[in-house]
Amino acid sequence: MNWMASLKERFMDRLSPATLRSPLLWSTAEGLARSPLNRPAWRADAVALRYFLRQTKRAYRGGDPVVWANLLFPSELIHAAGAVPFYPEMAAAVAASLELAPRFLDAAAHAGFSPDTCSFHRAILGAWSEGYMPAPACLASTDYLCDSAPLSFRYVAGEIGVPLLLLEIPFRGDDAALALLEEGLEETALRLAEACGVTWHAYLRGLGEAVELSEEARKRLLEVEELRLRHPLLLDGRDALGHLSVLASSFGHPDAVSFYGELAAELRERGERGEGREDSDGVKKLLWMHLKPYYPHRLFEHLQEHGGRIVCEEYNRCYWGEMDPRRPFRSLARKLTGHFGVGEGARRARVMRELALRHRVDGAVHFNHWGCRQSAGGAALVRRELLREGIPVLLLEGDCIDSREYQEGQAATRLEAFLESL
Amino acid sequence: MAYRLCYYTRMPESQNTTASTRSREEEEAARPGERQALWFCAYTPLELLDAAGFRPRRLSGAVERLEEADVLLHPATCPFVRACLVQGMEEIPRGPAVFVNSCDAMRRLHDAWKDMVGRGGGAGGRGGEGGGGAHMMDMPRRPGPWAERRLAQEILRLAEELERDGGLAVTPQSLKEAAALRMEVAKRCLQWGEGLAGSSRMRLAEAAQTLPPRLFLEGPPAGLAEGRGVPLLLTGNLLNPRGLVEVIEEAGGWVKTADLCNGDRPFLDLEEVDGETLEEAALSLARRYLNRRGCARMDDARQREARLLRMARECGARGVIYASLKFCDPYLYEWPRVEALLRSEGLPVLRLDSDYQDGHAGQLSTRVEAFLEMLRQGRRRA
Repeated sequence: MNWMASLKERFMDRLSPATLRSPLLWSTAEGLARSPLNRPAWRADAVALRYFLRQTKRAYRGGDPVVWANLLFPSELIHAAGAVPFYPEMAAAVAASLELAPRFLDAAAHAGFSPDTCSFHRAILGAWSEGYMPAPACLASTDYLCDSAPLSFRYVAGEIGVPLLLLEIPFRGDDAALALLEEGLEETALRLAEACGVTWHAYLRGLGEAVELSEEARKRLLEVEELRLRHPLLLDGRDALGHLSVLASSFGHPDAVSFYGELAAELRERGERGEGREDSDGVKKLLWMHLKPYYPHRLFEHLQEHGGRIVCEEYNRCYWGEMDPRRPFRSLARKLTGHFGVGEGARRARVMRELALRHRVDGAVHFNHWGCRQSAGGAALVRRELLREGIPVLLLEGDCIDSREYQEGQAATRLEAFLESL
Repeated sequence: MAYRLCYYTRMPESQNTTASTRSREEEEAARPGERQALWFCAYTPLELLDAAGFRPRRLSGAVERLEEADVLLHPATCPFVRACLVQGMEEIPRGPAVFVNSCDAMRRLHDAWKDMVGRGGGAGGRGGEGGGGAHMMDMPRRPGPWAERRLAQEILRLAEELERDGGLAVTPQSLKEAAALRMEVAKRCLQWGEGLAGSSRMRLAEAAQTLPPRLFLEGPPAGLAEGRGVPLLLTGNLLNPRGLVEVIEEAGGWVKTADLCNGDRPFLDLEEVDGETLEEAALSLARRYLNRRGCARMDDARQREARLLRMARECGARGVIYASLKFCDPYLYEWPRVEALLRSEGLPVLRLDSDYQDGHAGQLSTRVEAFLEMLRQGRRRA
């Protein structure tokens, strides 16, 4: 039994907002994570687990200012303040994995939120309305990748009267827009430092360090990408899909450097030992786009049984260039505008095509999360782009958070048929 | 030549095609030799299109064939946007299309349009006769000096793109003149709309957004009806003018203010545009768009809420109908707060979802009738 399952067994039936603040829960969780019985598939996973446990414990136990952020908001800006970055979208995924999401979704419906909205954000709003979310000093969101984060965060900010820091990313990354974004970043940082009670001088020093750490992590992430290309079957994409949380939240923190450093080292070691080569015959290499269902499901087992293997994922990519700690705001502006989800849908489609070609995939799966106007909304465009290169694409309808909207049988049949056709 | 508005009637489904539901103005707008610029979102700076010598034409979409948009747009996407794509695919319009980066749905429409209908503007735009560039303009959400400079930058860039796409060079003078005319259109639209039925206000708003300003200013169109019934405030995004509003009227409600993207909202709280240089005029125009009454995408929730309450009181509404197109996230996320606010102020509110076709008029009608009955009973009790 892994640490999460053990934790679930001990605490789930008496879970309440107070449980999340109790020292017992966190000491048990940390103990289970350290236990020799908890054997993660990769050493780096242990680094990630320690990081998330520490940050989440800080968020719930109080003491340090907590900043809610969406996945594209630069984590460097939060680490610079020594604040606790809390990613409600990830919390929704954790709630789904603990099978708590339906309860939170029902709470959101009761509060008046339509089932036509994204279930990540409905789960967040439901959990918040039931007191399961840590109190933020401020909320921070970009206006990409989708409208849901700024809108759901606005609701929470309005209800509790804390600032919402909205970072608006220009559609085009030309010089003039980049200069304005740099200003916007500085203004956001100023408000964030103020909300967290940090002086501007101390904040800027922290930001320089955070950007330096971010750059170190970026170099190691690039190494991981190269190693995955060299050894495509070593790191299973279904495990790598979880790395998005590391990518989004830990850049600017020393643990991101450790995570990618450790992952690169282990990929190199295992690759040199020849691991991953033994089962390459008949494997259908796949690109996985968007996210996965976070509740218990058997989709990936079906995929494996039919010879499918995810070798690359849409979001686990280094999409930005070198960062300069002496020009932190310019570096972060470039990082933000460098994201393939910013700007035209054709840009995303082009990047997906390049990714698929680089990894020589046999096919691609796009998980169409219900209500996602960004990814599902643009999936047909991506599909057309890949089809032009002769890469078959399966658009798999489902819901990442709400298990009640997912039909295992139907999804499995479609996936199997797709894999058979490759 | 005098322009007159046609009477809109709900067509039998078999006749309810794009052409048959299109207004006479739209038909006439397709005159040969006239350069049209298509637009979709209420944040499109029409003043700029006027100044660039284009005749702005708002697409209303092929509402009856939404499923044809599935080829590029997911079914859980704003039906207005889907309808516009279908209309674009059918017509392949020749003029440039101006999009606003206002929401996810508009971004997806721009992506799909470029792929299916017309090519991109900017660096990719070919321009010249018969050009059909797809131009995207950023629209900040939070008003303030940063947003003003950002939007002004976008307006200037769009002016350059439109010029490359066959338009006139925009000057400070032409922009100010166009802005003054649009201001006059807004004032007249609101003035002529006083006391009219909601559907007539919608027709008036449609004419104000569709006709060239000078033609609109010749006088109010014929066939506008006086309002009567239970006074209501209708708030929401963009609604089929021949759908829900008529349902409300048939049920005995009077939409005294239509706080909609294609209703009264674009004409409220407009500022003068001035400036000696083009940069100054663009900055001034940016302020007009950022400070006027915004839709739910704008990040000024408290101000929107306060304005909504004031609007309801000023028009003497006995109830509020909050109606939005399906899958419109800004309105879906805003609703719980608006509902709580209106209830705390003792204003009854009805929430309605529109699929833009409003083909389910029977269901809508039943809910509206029940709501109006509740308002009437409340008054009798009082």
